[in-house]
Amino acid sequence: MIAEIQAGPRVPEAAPNILEVRNLRKSFGVHEVLKNINFAMRKGEVVAVIGPSGSGKSTLLRCLNQLEPASGGEITIDGLTIRADHQLRRAELMGLRRKAGMVFQSFNLFPHLSVLRNISLPQERVLGRSRAEAEKRAHALLERVGLADKASQYPARCSGGQQQRIAIARALALDPQVMLFDEPTSALDPEVGLEVLAVMKELAEGGMTMVVVTHEMHFAETVSDRVLLMADGHILEEGPSAEVMRNPKSERAQRFLKAVMNR
Amino acid sequence: MSDILSFWGTYLPQILDGLGISLKVTGASLAIGIPAGLALALMVQAKSRFLRWFCLAVVEIGRGAPALILLQFAYFGLPNVGVSLTSFAAAVAALSWSTAAYTSEIIRAGLQAVPRGQIEASDALGLSFADQLRFVLVPQGLRVAAPALLGFAVLMLQASSLAFTIALPELLSQAYIIGTTTFRYMPILCLAGLLYACICIPATLLVGWFERRLARHA
Repeated sequence: MIAEIQAGPRVPEAAPNILEVRNLRKSFGVHEVLKNINFAMRKGEVVAVIGPSGSGKSTLLRCLNQLEPASGGEITIDGLTIRADHQLRRAELMGLRRKAGMVFQSFNLFPHLSVLRNISLPQERVLGRSRAEAEKRAHALLERVGLADKASQYPARCSGGQQQRIAIARALALDPQVMLFDEPTSALDPEVGLEVLAVMKELAEGGMTMVVVTHEMHFAETVSDRVLLMADGHILEEGPSAEVMRNPKSERAQRFLKAVMNR
Repeated sequence: MSDILSFWGTYLPQILDGLGISLKVTGASLAIGIPAGLALALMVQAKSRFLRWFCLAVVEIGRGAPALILLQFAYFGLPNVGVSLTSFAAAVAALSWSTAAYTSEIIRAGLQAVPRGQIEASDALGLSFADQLRFVLVPQGLRVAAPALLGFAVLMLQASSLAFTIALPELLSQAYIIGTTTFRYMPILCLAGLLYACICIPATLLVGWFERRLARHA
């Protein structure tokens, strides 16, 4: 495996933090899934979150846009701070979600709407764009993810990889500051997953700030600037991708990486 | 046989008038009852406990009481509290209530069948609660509920014959009136039954077609 892109220098050191997570905790009943998570991201940075199943990766991602309300701590995205110990106002929640675009493992396109409508409707309702404006943007994004010819189709007529690319276009159409990817290729055949990863890589190169929960170690190593390796609700290791993945310090991280890298 | 056909021919216009009224009552009850059922299905999940209990009461009474009792209540009962309805209005009121109660359960099941991921996706996109209902949840929930709703509509046409008991000149009433004047109950009731079947059988086939179509897109 050759690292095509060297991590690190792509994002200027001086870039401001766009995302900060402080003392984030999340419990489901007595079960503590996230235990005091702290990290920050600069604008344009791509962070891969890896780790064994059940380590809290997806929960962390879902807390960032409050699909799961955090049990403790605070999250700042692009100047907007959400504190777990404050009652969240509807406007704050909407503001947060406007700043964060999300792509799900199971795509979650709206099956009763055409591909074009999937991308244009949220723009009209959330950003107040006109229909013409929203559709123009939708066409441009479909072009960008290589699916210009699918605009009038329904999602069920598209392959999994195509659906995921449409889901990425849908999220991008709202001009998010940060894109959150929750195992975007896990439901896809490895070969089909590549077309999704290619779109993500292009997005990263375009300067989008991205948090990617993934099992794609090659993607984590080559595209992301930094890796967070999680286990048991903690961030076990954090640092430049190549460093964390080639020279993990802790025994637990070594064990995990050995298992996944040899696959 | 030719005797029966000429008898049918003579009374067909009167019977068709009756069918027209049956269809009107059914149509009006569905047009009022199904949107009300949707509203009830949404409101039983409301945060306000009062609203929840109120809707639950409306649904449970509407489902618990036989349609015949609701009809009698609307036509004979309400005048005691100063509300006099024509037989048509009373029939529509009673059958709308019944429709609302039953369809609210059908629609609620439809809404619950919408995958959790759809709600999460619309949350993540930042759609407001009202938009989520309007553009994501309700269209998909109704799609799931459509075959059952259509099936219910067929039942409602049949239930409209109960309005016979409150002097509404619908299909069964007309057949009965013709029977009392000609004493030929058998052929006229057969004709009435045939007309009900003419509507209900194609409608049932439509339900089947709908279900197959839905299964293909799921």
